[in-house]
Amino acid sequence: MKTMGQNSKSKRRLALTVVVVALLTAVPGVLDPETSYVVFLLFSAFIYVALAQAWNLVSGYTGQVSLGNHAFFGLGAYVIAIGWSRGLIGYLDPLGMLLAGCAAAILGILVGIPLLSKLRGDYFALGTLGLGEILRLVTIQGRALTAGPTGIFLPSSSFTTIVPYYFMALFLALLATGVTYYMVKSNTGLALVATRDDEAAAAAIGINILKFKVLAFAVGAFLAGLCGALQAYYVFHVEPQGFFSLSWTIYPVLMCVLGGVGTLTGPVVGAVFLTAAFEVAKYYLPEIHPIFSGLLIILVIMFLPNGLVRLRRGRIVRNPKAA
Amino acid sequence: MMMTLRGPRLMGLSLVFVAAMMLGLPTAVPAADKNEIVIGATLPLTGMLSMMGAEQKWAYEQAAADINAEGGIYVKEYDKKLPVKLIVADNETDAGKAVAAIERLVKVDKVDFLLSDSTLPLVMPTAVAAEKWKVYYHATICLLPPWQEQKFKWSTDYFFDGAQATAVPFEVLDTIPEADRPKKLALLAEDSTDGRILGPIFKEAGKQYGYEFDYEEPVAVGSKDYSSQILKLKSKGIDGAILFAGSGDCVTFVRQMKEVGLNLKYLHGYKGTWGTEFWNALGQDAEYILADGFWSETYPYPRAEEIGERYYQNFNKRSVSIGLFYALCQTLFQAIEAAGTLDGAKVREAVLTTEFKGTVMGDIKYNPDGTAVFPLAAFQWQEGLLRRVYPFVEGASPVLIAPPWDKR
Repeated sequence: MKTMGQNSKSKRRLALTVVVVALLTAVPGVLDPETSYVVFLLFSAFIYVALAQAWNLVSGYTGQVSLGNHAFFGLGAYVIAIGWSRGLIGYLDPLGMLLAGCAAAILGILVGIPLLSKLRGDYFALGTLGLGEILRLVTIQGRALTAGPTGIFLPSSSFTTIVPYYFMALFLALLATGVTYYMVKSNTGLALVATRDDEAAAAAIGINILKFKVLAFAVGAFLAGLCGALQAYYVFHVEPQGFFSLSWTIYPVLMCVLGGVGTLTGPVVGAVFLTAAFEVAKYYLPEIHPIFSGLLIILVIMFLPNGLVRLRRGRIVRNPKAA
Repeated sequence: MMMTLRGPRLMGLSLVFVAAMMLGLPTAVPAADKNEIVIGATLPLTGMLSMMGAEQKWAYEQAAADINAEGGIYVKEYDKKLPVKLIVADNETDAGKAVAAIERLVKVDKVDFLLSDSTLPLVMPTAVAAEKWKVYYHATICLLPPWQEQKFKWSTDYFFDGAQATAVPFEVLDTIPEADRPKKLALLAEDSTDGRILGPIFKEAGKQYGYEFDYEEPVAVGSKDYSSQILKLKSKGIDGAILFAGSGDCVTFVRQMKEVGLNLKYLHGYKGTWGTEFWNALGQDAEYILADGFWSETYPYPRAEEIGERYYQNFNKRSVSIGLFYALCQTLFQAIEAAGTLDGAKVREAVLTTEFKGTVMGDIKYNPDGTAVFPLAAFQWQEGLLRRVYPFVEGASPVLIAPPWDKR
């Protein structure tokens, strides 16, 4: 049962969340979306927030380190590209995006059952890593269906403004965070965390481990598929190298690590921080920015292994007087 | 009370951090105070294509420095010469990042024009981005048919014609006395966008010149072992080949050719055999191997030799591509002057209607559909230098047949 203090804290958090979301909603009205780069930067950050939450759910809360997010991301993009180029779905079509997410989730279930029942730890990570490579090759060899290595071009004349993309990305970030929050706070979340902490103990108390692992994997895949779909709508050219690029997995992982794995706000903080930091590095250090980015990641892992959101909490523990 | 950095508070602080960082980025000069022409380019300065990106960047910078040394470009609209400010953004050889870089160039740097990215997988999405933001994009290194299909209104594409480019090996082979020519040819095109597009065109070109391929198979990108493929070539008695692959793959392929004892009288490499790095990796084993190239400093065109020498003085190596990028800038600068404005649509129109004389690629004329073509050149490694063997214009050397490995 929640105490009054906890209730008050929850209300304060909810109020702050509402304020932040309201401010973000107002951004395209305050800044000119056609000329302001901040709008695009936030659009990118929102997609990374959703991708980072998708990974966080599977790896942070369930303990199954997946390196296959880019497979689901790419699949979602290809569902949009194939569907739109054949007139089955339209421009920024919510049904198309739902279809993309569902296709990724179904793949997540199909792949998740054998992988999650047989593989653990590093082996599971390597298994999921292979999934992206398989899909990349399948799309390269896909002939007319996927337009091979050239990829599928979509009608860029449909684009009029970045505003709908901004709000859809914001919605995806909120959806991913909300779904993660809901799952973590429900019995499902307890089962996921129990599985992460001690599989044998969780199984012993009657938790169907495989079911919960596959559920988290499928939900993560669904969210990644949605992100791929939106990116496809934005880039208007879906091709294997870019959409099945490992960076769609690695960056969200780094964002989670930076912000705090297995926390709700960690991926949000990590995604926003790294998107901005990488951007500034690219601007001021165009030829050596990977060195800066790499250094930043090394420093974070060395000095903040638990992520930014646990930074102050760690200090409190080390300094009992402050507590 | 000890405040903890958790929850929405930290999220809010992160957003403030983003805003602060973005405010730190430079802001553009208002149009009314225009005192320079801002030209942007997103290039692969890191990642797989960084070697190409570095050459492209160098050539763009040289062209900008040269025009600025002359006082800039005269723009009638402002009745003065405006210097060129070049801004290059790295795309890490990643299409998604290239699109993001275009956004930054357009919205933060407020570029007036965009210069080309590198290769089709990067040029096409950036052309789409230019279309979205209605900024004129002066493109190259993108195969023409896929670009033409899109009917872009805000870009143009200057590249070789696939039919001409794939006919080069056969035109060169025709110059070899018939008795010395290879009898059995193989086509080895890498399993990539360009390889898959060009592969069938090579076959078609061969037919037109009376050559058939006795063996053809895609080459895996990034493979460390081509020995089984090479053994197949050996068992079929192949003595000539066209190899379309990246630099590292070409090096591996030739090394394993020698190890297995496959001697090819004629090996025409595309994409991966022209770089000095190819020679450095193989040394004498690179002798007699042919390479494609966009340009040659031996072309009899104004400043071609000078630009080539400048590059050599800087990097102690030769390039077969910098002239293309330099000429791309020359045509853009001339078009801006001809248009007399920095309006992208009008400059594109000027690109389509101007006859560009005396560039380092020779004279250039664009077609009404926005394309322009140049002949792809061919070179052969002879005594550690790339000698131009095609086109057969002033300064071309005769092609040499490769002797067996033990006699090289």
